Amino acid sequence: MIRFKNVTKTYKNGTVALRDVSIEIEKQEFVFLVGASGSGKTTLIRLLLREELPDSGRIWEAGRDIVHLPKWRVPYLRRNIGCVFQDFRLLPNKTVFENVAFALEVIGRPKHVVANQVPQVLELVGLAKKRDNLPSELSGGEQQRVAVARAFVNRPLILLADEPTGNLDPSTSQGIMQLLDRINRTGTTVVVATHDEVLVNWMRRRVIELDHGSVVRDQARGVYGIEGAPAATLGPAAAVSPAATLNPAATLNPAATLNPAAAVTAAGAPSGRVPAVAGARRARGQERG
Amino acid sequence: MPVSAEYVARETASNLWRNRLMTIAAVLTVAVSLSLVGAALLLKQGATRAEAEWQRGTEVMVWMKPTASTNEIGAVGKQLGALPYVVHPCTFRNHMYDFFEAKRLVGSVWGEAGVTPKETPTSWRCTPVHPQDATAVIREFGGQPGVLVVSAPLTQIRTEQHVIEILQWVFLLVALVLLVSAAVLILNTIRMAIFARRREVSVMKLVGATNWFIRLPFMSEGLVQGLLGSGVAAAVVYGLHVILDRLGSSTSGSVLAQMRMTGWEVFVTDVIVVVIGVLIGTGGSAIAISRFLDV
Repeated sequence: MIRFKNVTKTYKNGTVALRDVSIEIEKQEFVFLVGASGSGKTTLIRLLLREELPDSGRIWEAGRDIVHLPKWRVPYLRRNIGCVFQDFRLLPNKTVFENVAFALEVIGRPKHVVANQVPQVLELVGLAKKRDNLPSELSGGEQQRVAVARAFVNRPLILLADEPTGNLDPSTSQGIMQLLDRINRTGTTVVVATHDEVLVNWMRRRVIELDHGSVVRDQARGVYGIEGAPAATLGPAAAVSPAATLNPAATLNPAATLNPAAAVTAAGAPSGRVPAVAGARRARGQERG
Repeated sequence: MPVSAEYVARETASNLWRNRLMTIAAVLTVAVSLSLVGAALLLKQGATRAEAEWQRGTEVMVWMKPTASTNEIGAVGKQLGALPYVVHPCTFRNHMYDFFEAKRLVGSVWGEAGVTPKETPTSWRCTPVHPQDATAVIREFGGQPGVLVVSAPLTQIRTEQHVIEILQWVFLLVALVLLVSAAVLILNTIRMAIFARRREVSVMKLVGATNWFIRLPFMSEGLVQGLLGSGVAAAVVYGLHVILDRLGSSTSGSVLAQMRMTGWEVFVTDVIVVVIGVLIGTGGSAIAISRFLDV
């Protein structure tokens, strides 16, 4: 679904954002991009959105070479990609419904499709009752749910999330991650750039770690740091919050099932309590791969 | 994908209302700027009309000797009638007419000088197609049998022509300078309005909107602002015309009276103002938005 081959990106000020990066992400995968600030996570996302072009190397997305994609085709590429950002990027003057509908309107979906699909996806994210609210009338978590709904409403092949939980409290973050997990189970490839150690460790999905623009670790069912490293110790003593319970029914509307097969309780899905985090940030970079 | 007219209309209406302060600012900028442009154009047209009026009043006079025979007078009249550079017909003034005209112009001096109507020369009076053609008439008839003298206000012609040419250029230049400054001012106002909404544009780009999908509502907003602003400017231009017309009608023979224009000329000026407003509004929006589309 996504393939980077020897991609290097240097910004005008000389900063090397990505250095000879080669990765492959399969269809329906859920991948975390982790790494310190400035490690190249956001650049990677921007390259996938064709907001930037690499200096060298090639990038394929859904079988298409996006480096050589003509400029006028870029909007059509973006219609296959959903995007969620830390700052939500909602249109402040539009209601929840209008914000989500906008993504369909832009790609020329007829009115009846908009009228049908938007309530469905709002139901999925648990905001059906707030469809007429403006973003300013919602909490941060709710705004991010609207952003997720907008990103998912046209059933994109790929969903990119750049620090989607960066502005949210732990329990709200879990809800968002649960939502992304649920979307992933419908067949959408999900790539999440994050600093959220708790969620990465809890989700146990593929983890790609970047350090100074290079891939330093690519681990299936990985954790944020290196497993077994002392700084990444997980323990109940440092529980995030008793309320931080991951129960799909608690945060999502049970009726909002996109696909009955996509039940959150499927094998490998997160359930139960969030693993607790102990202490400070882990020592990094010992495992490479 | 074609952009639906309904979408453009809806977005235009809601954006104009939502950003109404910016909308008012843009409309006022267009209105004030184009009012000045329109006024300059109107005055330029007025100067052209004054020139035409003045040209119509420029006469070359072929003075016949008081003793000139009917044949000589007739021959000169026939020759004048064949000239391509004078407006036909030329008018003949007899002894009595010229006598009383002279008395009217120079008062009793004419009578005190003992000149009788019989001794007053008769004259042919012609309007040259162009004032400068007066010289050719003087050359053609000076020294002909029966001709006393050929006169035309040559110095006055040159001076007035020069003044009117300068006036026309000044008004044209003022109109052009105002037009450029209006365009820059309007462009800047639209740009500020779009800058305030750059985030909105970036969201549109992220969800896969084509450049035309984003551009059209902005251009449509510019069109509405341009139309509203230039509509006000057209009204101001018409108002100025009414004022000048009233002043001109109350002072016959003055420059203002010569500058009086027809309704058609004012209508053409108004159409030019509205077209400029629409072009600047629409084009300005298209230019202003383009820099935010390259995301």
